[in-house]
Amino acid sequence: MTGTGKEFHPKSNGLYGIGVLAILALAALPLLVRNEFYLDLLVMIFFWATLAGAWNLLGGFAGQISLGHTAYFGIGAYASTLLYLNFSLSPWIGLLAGAALSVLVAVFVGYPCFRLSSHFFALATIAFAEVLRLLAAYWRGLTKGGLGLLTPFKTGIGYFMFDNKQAYAYIALAFMLLMIFVSRAIKRSRFGFYLISLREDQDGAESLGVDTHRCKMVALIISVSFTSAMGTFYSQYFQFIDPEICFSISLSIQLPLLSIIGGLGTVLGPVVGAFLLTPIDVLLRGWLGGIFAGLNLIVYGTILIVAVMYFPIGVGGWFKIKWERWLKDWMGSPAISLKMDNAVTSLPPLRGPEESKTNGQVLFEVRSLEKHFGGLQAVHNLSFQIKRGEIVGLIGPNGAGKTTIFNLISGFYSADGGEMEFHGQRITGLAPPHKLCRKGIGRTFQIVKPFNNMSVLENIMVGVFCLLKDPRKSRIEALRIINFAGLSKHQFSPASSLTIADRKRLELARALATKPDLLLLDEVVAGLTPRETKELMSIIQSISAQGITILMIEHVMKAVMALSGRIIVIHHGEKIAEGTPAEVGENKAVIDAYLGKGFRRGK
Amino acid sequence: MLQLVVNGLLLGGIYALISIGLTLIFGVLEIINFAHGEFLMLSMYAAFWLFQLYGVDPYLSILVILPAFFVIGLAIQRITIQPVLNSPPLNQIFTTIGLSIILQNVALFFFKADYRTVKTSYSDLGLNLVGLIISFPRLIAFILAMGIIAALLIYLKSTYTGMAIRALAQERRASMLMGIDVYKTYRIAFGIGIACVGAAGSILMPIYFVFPTVGSLFVLIAFVVVILGGYNSLIGSLIGGLIIGVIEGFSGFFISPHLKEAVYFVIFIFILLFKPTGLFGRR
Repeated sequence: MTGTGKEFHPKSNGLYGIGVLAILALAALPLLVRNEFYLDLLVMIFFWATLAGAWNLLGGFAGQISLGHTAYFGIGAYASTLLYLNFSLSPWIGLLAGAALSVLVAVFVGYPCFRLSSHFFALATIAFAEVLRLLAAYWRGLTKGGLGLLTPFKTGIGYFMFDNKQAYAYIALAFMLLMIFVSRAIKRSRFGFYLISLREDQDGAESLGVDTHRCKMVALIISVSFTSAMGTFYSQYFQFIDPEICFSISLSIQLPLLSIIGGLGTVLGPVVGAFLLTPIDVLLRGWLGGIFAGLNLIVYGTILIVAVMYFPIGVGGWFKIKWERWLKDWMGSPAISLKMDNAVTSLPPLRGPEESKTNGQVLFEVRSLEKHFGGLQAVHNLSFQIKRGEIVGLIGPNGAGKTTIFNLISGFYSADGGEMEFHGQRITGLAPPHKLCRKGIGRTFQIVKPFNNMSVLENIMVGVFCLLKDPRKSRIEALRIINFAGLSKHQFSPASSLTIADRKRLELARALATKPDLLLLDEVVAGLTPRETKELMSIIQSISAQGITILMIEHVMKAVMALSGRIIVIHHGEKIAEGTPAEVGENKAVIDAYLGKGFRRGK
Repeated sequence: MLQLVVNGLLLGGIYALISIGLTLIFGVLEIINFAHGEFLMLSMYAAFWLFQLYGVDPYLSILVILPAFFVIGLAIQRITIQPVLNSPPLNQIFTTIGLSIILQNVALFFFKADYRTVKTSYSDLGLNLVGLIISFPRLIAFILAMGIIAALLIYLKSTYTGMAIRALAQERRASMLMGIDVYKTYRIAFGIGIACVGAAGSILMPIYFVFPTVGSLFVLIAFVVVILGGYNSLIGSLIGGLIIGVIEGFSGFFISPHLKEAVYFVIFIFILLFKPTGLFGRR
């Protein structure tokens, strides 16, 4: 998802046509190819493409790098084979049973492992796969250990064994096409957006209402099911499995390799990788491996290192960029025309008319809030109220605890004492953060967290998806918000290419997209030029005029004093003053702690 | 019983030396060196060939191997690691995995898959101390390993480069601002890490055997040690190594020699899940 919405292109029908042709061509191949060796190669290409595609769902889309996927391959292979050998259960049913077992195991293992950061997650997955390998090798009573399991050949569709390779090729092709179809469907759906957003920035995603844990689990389940199915396929194709084959770390490594070389996180990347590397691997082994043991792997390892160093987006990624550039040059700009309007226009209706009438009522209340980190008391006995429709400023010296308060309100930290109520409902202890977003609390972060590899439009869509499920409708809504925030010029640009001012706008727009009742702005004008600050301030005023309540942390006094109706001053985690900007500006305690004597004179 | 403990400790010293290199690399460069085991393997071969061709005792060849591997580490870092220091974790992981594949197969290509051992005059010598039989080679191995580790710890505490390494492990940007040549320091840290594992290889040679994939076995142990001890604590690697050595002895005796590996992995997974910072790690 680097910056273009394919659906906008007027020639998208042409692309569908190419896709259909490609599928037909692939379908014809197994019939046309007569040579046993090449037919086998074809089967293996489809096989690897499916496996790599399955891995890519978890590793490419969701960014969870598993190096232990062979565990599920092995479970699938052993489960279906054992069920067949011991109970004469058709391997087709065995495939489903194996997948179900793999899913069960994955959920049990994945659940705690997702907490780990990437390097450790990778290590944990390796360790887990190794444990299974050892189990398979030494639990001889069940698996015959190192002897492996031999499936006696019996041709028949019920037995999932055939006397010709064509049948296997079609089955593998079917799986590959299914995998591609599923990947594509996911990528365009809300779920796909959520996966990529959590890969890019998990906290940012949570703050926009993405249930990151659930999304990871769903991706894991789909990924593992396909992997397990291919394990069953392997057993039926080769009719022999053993622990070294089924729980092999080189299989675990092969899957991400194919995805990287083809293009990580793209739909066709793993397929491209499989089409490129499988023949290379087989040929290398044939030419070099026979003569000099290990030489083929030396070349292979070198390819790996070179690919990772110099082609991080992979062959598929490289092609994608060239393709998109070509499309842009030859097909012109996207079909949907947009007003390139930088002026602040009215915000799309964010809430029903009846809600604005309740201005003045208490929207959010905090009572005796406590938070400490070890011996450090970050927030102490904090109480305040925020009424609907207000703009409240939260100021204080650095380290006073302001962002900690935001983190407590938005669910990133849990309070050690006290109560918080929103809309009269108790929200203390509500976690993870996505739940608070869904209740109506939105926030920005002090250090902005854009989803770098997604376009501005896609970033905002993630926010819109909080309330709208349909991607088409969500895109339209996102466009309106982009217009309001003055980001139309950049809507298809990747977020990583924006200036800091535009990133702040993006962060704000994204949070707005979730239609919050209470918006927490954390130093949103920090680092901006005076003109940019003024522009952002008027956007904030428009937001407030639409009925959204705002609590803002700021150090830029001009902004805070001008915008806020009321200011709360925090020092060492405690409230030391509260009142109108004028009152707070005169307050001695505030001057001593924060403003400095020059403030009064300067004002 | 005590015999098991002692044997375990002696072996644990070597594990500690291997792991300390890994911890140093991970702590400073924040890269998990999946190729670490392959360097062990290469140094074992180096010790083997030095003995076979020139009759150099493996314990003496440390004097050659340690500095040689330091230089090798510098080179490898410059060629393969430095370009991906700022890349996403996946790319870094794959760089070292690729390196591991290459090294394993280079060894396979040149040295073939046969197991090789070194037999010195004292290989089978056992000492009888306080009623325990202590294998002489293992004792020497332990002493050398501890010596190198001690030297390393002193180096890190007292020299400028050592402090630079420690500073870099904690905070990259501030280190740059303090005038530390970050890239050079990365290279040196990596070099030291490889030197450690190189030394471990020549110490290990008399009491084990070498074949191209021996690295995988030891690197897994090293990972467990690093995680057990705390992924950014050198002392942790030391203590962790000794503990794992003892656990290995016990599980080999009480459970089964084959399932030793399973025990490591289970420990590994448990620590990752329940106490990722290990025994001595921070953060």
